[in-house]
Amino acid sequence: MTLSIRSLSKTYPNGIRALKGISLDVPPGMFGLLGRNGAGKSTLMRILATLQEPDEGTIHLGELDVIRQKERVRETLGYLPQSFGFHPRVRAERLLDHFAVLKGLVDAGSRREVVEALLRRTNLWDVRNQRVGTFSGGMRQRLGVAIALLGNPKLIIVDEPTAGLDPEERVRFLNLLSEIGEASAVILSTHIVEDVEELCSNLAIIDRGEILLAGAPARVIAEVRGRIWRRSVTREELPALEEEHSVISTKLLAGQTIAHVYAEESPGAGFEPVEPDLKDVYFAVMSGHRGVRAAA
Amino acid sequence: MRFGEVFRYEFAHRLRSISTWLYAGFLFLIAFWVIHVAVTGTNPIHVNAPQSLAETTALFCGLFSILVTAGLFSDAAIRDRAAGMDALLFTTRLRPAEYLGGRFLAALAINSILVFAIPIGLALATKMPYLPRDAFGPNHLAAYLQPVLLFLLPNLVLVGAILFTIAALTRQVIPVYLGAIAIFIGYLVAASYWSGITNPMLSALADPLGINALKAMAEYWTASERNTRLIGFPSMLLWNRLLWFAIAAALFGVLQRTFRFTQRNEKVRGSKTVDVPAEGRYSGAVPQLRGVFGSRTRMRQTLAVTRQSLAEAMSGRAFPVAFLAAIGLVLLWGWNMGETIFDTITWPVTHLVAEIVLSERAILIPWLVIALYAGELVWKDRETGAAQIADAAPVRTSVVLLGRFLALVALIALFQLAFMIGGILLQALQGYYDFEPGLYLRILFGWNLVEYVLLAAFAMTVHVLVNHKYVGHVVVLLATVFNSAAEYGIHHLLIYNGGPALKYSEMNGFGPFVTPFVWFKLYWAAWAMLFAVVTMLFWVRGPELGIRQRLATARARLTAQTARMAGLAVVLILAFGGFIFYNTNVLNAYLPPQKAGLPQAEYERRYARYADLPQPVIAGAELRFEIYPEAPAVDMRGSYRLVNQTGVPIRSVHVETPSGRDYEVRSMKFDRASKAELLDPEHGYRIFALERALAPGESMQFSFDVAFRPRGFRHGGWQTKVVRNGSYFDRLLLPFIGYQPGFEVSGDSERKRYGLPPKPSMPGPGDAAARRYWSPFRNGDRMHVETIVGTAADQIAVVPGMLRRSWTENPSTGSGQAPRRYVHYGSRIPETFAASVFSAKYAVAKGKWKDVGLEIFHHPPHRANLDRMMSGMQSSLDYYTSAFGPYPYREFRIVEVPPYSINGRAFPSALALAEQNFITRTGPGVVDLTFFGTAHEVAHQWWGGQVRPAYAKGRGFVSESLANYSAMLVTEKVLGPAEARRVYDFQMNRYLQTRGETGKDVPLLEVDDHPHVSYGKGAVALYTLREHIGAEAVNGALRRFLEKYRGSGPPYPTSLDLYAELRAVTPPSLYPLLTDLFETMTLWDVKTQSAAARRLPDGKYEVTLEVMAQKLRADGIGRETPTPMNDLLEVGIFAPGKDDPIYLARHRIRSGKQTIRIIVPQKPSRAGLDPYRKLIERERGDNLVDVETGAGDRGGV
Repeated sequence: MTLSIRSLSKTYPNGIRALKGISLDVPPGMFGLLGRNGAGKSTLMRILATLQEPDEGTIHLGELDVIRQKERVRETLGYLPQSFGFHPRVRAERLLDHFAVLKGLVDAGSRREVVEALLRRTNLWDVRNQRVGTFSGGMRQRLGVAIALLGNPKLIIVDEPTAGLDPEERVRFLNLLSEIGEASAVILSTHIVEDVEELCSNLAIIDRGEILLAGAPARVIAEVRGRIWRRSVTREELPALEEEHSVISTKLLAGQTIAHVYAEESPGAGFEPVEPDLKDVYFAVMSGHRGVRAAA
Repeated sequence: MRFGEVFRYEFAHRLRSISTWLYAGFLFLIAFWVIHVAVTGTNPIHVNAPQSLAETTALFCGLFSILVTAGLFSDAAIRDRAAGMDALLFTTRLRPAEYLGGRFLAALAINSILVFAIPIGLALATKMPYLPRDAFGPNHLAAYLQPVLLFLLPNLVLVGAILFTIAALTRQVIPVYLGAIAIFIGYLVAASYWSGITNPMLSALADPLGINALKAMAEYWTASERNTRLIGFPSMLLWNRLLWFAIAAALFGVLQRTFRFTQRNEKVRGSKTVDVPAEGRYSGAVPQLRGVFGSRTRMRQTLAVTRQSLAEAMSGRAFPVAFLAAIGLVLLWGWNMGETIFDTITWPVTHLVAEIVLSERAILIPWLVIALYAGELVWKDRETGAAQIADAAPVRTSVVLLGRFLALVALIALFQLAFMIGGILLQALQGYYDFEPGLYLRILFGWNLVEYVLLAAFAMTVHVLVNHKYVGHVVVLLATVFNSAAEYGIHHLLIYNGGPALKYSEMNGFGPFVTPFVWFKLYWAAWAMLFAVVTMLFWVRGPELGIRQRLATARARLTAQTARMAGLAVVLILAFGGFIFYNTNVLNAYLPPQKAGLPQAEYERRYARYADLPQPVIAGAELRFEIYPEAPAVDMRGSYRLVNQTGVPIRSVHVETPSGRDYEVRSMKFDRASKAELLDPEHGYRIFALERALAPGESMQFSFDVAFRPRGFRHGGWQTKVVRNGSYFDRLLLPFIGYQPGFEVSGDSERKRYGLPPKPSMPGPGDAAARRYWSPFRNGDRMHVETIVGTAADQIAVVPGMLRRSWTENPSTGSGQAPRRYVHYGSRIPETFAASVFSAKYAVAKGKWKDVGLEIFHHPPHRANLDRMMSGMQSSLDYYTSAFGPYPYREFRIVEVPPYSINGRAFPSALALAEQNFITRTGPGVVDLTFFGTAHEVAHQWWGGQVRPAYAKGRGFVSESLANYSAMLVTEKVLGPAEARRVYDFQMNRYLQTRGETGKDVPLLEVDDHPHVSYGKGAVALYTLREHIGAEAVNGALRRFLEKYRGSGPPYPTSLDLYAELRAVTPPSLYPLLTDLFETMTLWDVKTQSAAARRLPDGKYEVTLEVMAQKLRADGIGRETPTPMNDLLEVGIFAPGKDDPIYLARHRIRSGKQTIRIIVPQKPSRAGLDPYRKLIERERGDNLVDVETGAGDRGGV
């Protein structure tokens, strides 16, 4: 089912406007929400996870009104928050079983099957009798995923899941997510562009409470094809370059600064065209050359 | 400077925290409240006397402030770790010493400021206008400051060092609280065993908190000294403080040595789990199982939450430690439990263990469990971060709340289990095996658990609403402490969890207290339900913590269902509350404690003017009682023969009955025409005008039909006269004739409160007018009384007197009612009109002494002490009839009563004893108080019974002192002189200790209401006289006294008459001793400073004793002045290995120092003045010393 968000706004008591009238449609499949820290991602995630109330706007998950029917939503929700913990002395299997009961899997036999399958799936079966206090960060994360997958949720919300994972763990995690994403709507909120690029069938870029861009990765990349140029400069030359052209990103590589520039046509000599990737789209949007903030 | 920076940071942080000021408030309120509690009770020692203030500050407030210290110092040490800031801090240039020192000193500084809230609270309380002014003396600033400087601040350093060390090394909060509790308990343990340390220097130093040293210092201070003398800074205390200061510093040094900045992995013991590699990936499908939601699921979820919360709370080291500690504390606090009830030593029967140890002394444990674990259960998920996930789970808030609450209840129940184990262990270790597990279950898991569950509901509500863990703890503890505000006259309906206390009687179970208890608890359960709704509305779920958001969420959660539950709660509150109010305020009069005497005051105001009106006296009575134990009720019919013994005609008769709505007067009439002139049932006064006046010497009949039918239940002071098993009531339920001064409010401060003029104090023994009355009740003289009592068929009714007949009968009104048992008792000889009636399911033990039938009416299971009681009766009757005079009756009965009203009371030919006397136990070295008590009460048949003293000062000397003395004589004859000496010591202690604690004392000839004087000093004084002039002389004097005043009417004898008889048999050389013992309050003070012996050429030894003696006369409040002494005192010399002295003789001892030289046949080991401690002395440990033997002459001084 599709998640429809309309004109969602939230302002915190200290005056910060976290969400400014956001509207979004999330079809089934993996949806990436891309943005920097403080963009409003976590606020949006928490509102979707029924943990916070917006000031204005509506959210519908199929027929359900997410804001007013929180309990019904929770019955089909899987939420993996950005930071969480567990009572250190609980054992992994016991914890998963406990959450399974909380998620309505009351029949002991089938519950046991589900718990075992999930533990195997997240590769925690061999450590199921260890206390979760001994788990590494990645293991905790995987346990969180297992919990989120309990009860066959139709909406799965994953908030910054790969931050803090080592490369192996990250790969494993992303594989797991991509398998899940086939059956339910998974919203992946992150600031790691590669995660979105590799996994998501749809994405949105959010900054300061506004959606700057939405669409499928292939399409948004296609839209900037032919508009991203690359040039290698020294550190001293950079300021002049930035003044003259629209530099959207810079990167240091073996002592040289590689600058990506946005231009409708080649800016001149020394510039090579670049086959754009999502990072380029992201930077182009953030610097105001694409998306909502682009000049008409 | 880094150290200064750490200090400033912590100090500023603490100042800005709300919790700091809440702690200050907590300390202030504790101090404020404790003054209020101390004011109840009249004492010549001012509540704000310097020594009392010192004790209150150091002991009571100081112990509570340990909790505050725990909070402050643990936060100072742990906060960085908890906030995750420690990694940042510890990787700067900061050194451990600077860090620890800065934090510790800042916390110390803050706490030092906070403790001043205590003297401020105390001082402010003494200024409160609604407290009686005469409880306070003048306020001295020094009196408030000295305890702070001497105790609070130094103890703060020590306790703070200990707790800070624990906190810094363990980095967890629970061990700190355990440490605080351990200190608390350690103090209590030390206090009980401290008195065993005889070396005064060691004992003063060994006390870490200094409190015992303070107590010892003031132990012998009199009342007037305590009121005025500042504690100052005595050197012993200063050395103590210095020592423990040094220990604290050493502790801190240890901490500094062992503390490391390295982060310990304190999560779990054992190594971290290594992650498993990616091989063996599971490719099977996960069953796509959707959750089922409905009421069954909600139940399962609730159980799951309960189970998980309970498992989490019980995991870790804290719980098993606390569980075992609870058992240990029960043993510790209960070990001497049997010794403190009515001065007797009882078996640790289950209900005493459950009531005294588990419900009173150890009450702190459930309170702490509730307060701490309620906070844990509300906060744990948020602290670990599990709430992030759990909050989004499809679990209703009500389910989470209920699950956590049930976990808290389960925890409380587990601690009750620990209590039960502890209680049973305590009993078994003391050799008592009748555990009565059913009773334990009823008390611990029934009544007490209900109370704690209500408290737990409140605690959880507070924690949810307050939303700050430590503030929540403080609020909960404060509220728990303030629950006792009900003593100040606030209706139980208004104090959360208020209600009656349950008193258990072995005869009557929980009896009349159950009904009101249940109703009150139902009422409070309805409130708890309302709290539950509030808690559910405000339960924090998700990250929004602001007040506006929480209110918005609460509004959103207010569904129809929730509103309905709240509505139901309100309806129940009103229903139960209304029913309770109807009972306590409508059916019965509600009188808060300060107004309890209002009816009596009004009675006096209206009718005292009739006090001297000529009225007839009762000269005979016939009574018929119908007791209905189940109702409970008693119908009373009877008639009096009234005689005009005045010289004038009597025109009106004033009849007095109990006031109140429980008492019905169905009819009252005379055998001549009369008219009711005044009917005041509310105050129990009726005036009847006689058509034909009663002429002098004439008599008439007065008949009445009244009933005592209590309705519903009261707020307090439940009647225990008629109960299901163990009814006991007396004359006070029947009408009196004439105004009764005995019903007036007594006590000057109380009278002032009701606006009554002060009563003239009891007349002295020399007052001729006093000899007219033997009681403040105008009740006639001795007369014949015939009594018929009907009661339930399975009960036996007893009335002191001669049993004429007993039979069973069916009640006249209607058939089909149960048969009833009747007895008819009559008086053998004319008796005081007492009309005491007992009715219970008794078993009867029978015995005989000569031709006197002995009976013990007892609760069937109470068989253990019957033999000793029987032999006590026999030996006493035997001794007294031969020593004093004949026993005028053919029967003597002991009747057991529940412990509600009296401990023991004597009647003509009978004696009532409360249950606890039936469970006393003896053993080696323990006074056989069953035997002694029985002998004492039997003696009252002579002293107080045959001889009735006048209602004047000194009557306690005639009745109680003689009874106690007589009992000692019997004890000595039957159980031996060693036992008698033990009793003597016991009585002496009773006198001296009570005298020291309360500051009250009167001369024996004037004693009325001071049991420690009349019982304790009286026995000692008479025994001492006996030692000097011989038993025959004293007993002869008593015999003559008895013969002169036996059975007489007015004028009644006073203590002076008894004294005259004693004086008559005493040689004039001993008159000063008589004055010392009886006419004055005299204390001796003798001390054997040294004893030296040297061997004489003929093998004998010459012992030289240096002694110091003085005699002090005290006035009413203990101001003592020395008096010249010239008394005969015993000197004793003992040899090793022999119990009996090798020398014992009287020497004349003067005031001051003197030397005594004695020659003894063998080598002495110990010697001294008054070796058997027969003198009334405060300091009795310095009479005997070891003898130093030198080989020959001891030269020089």
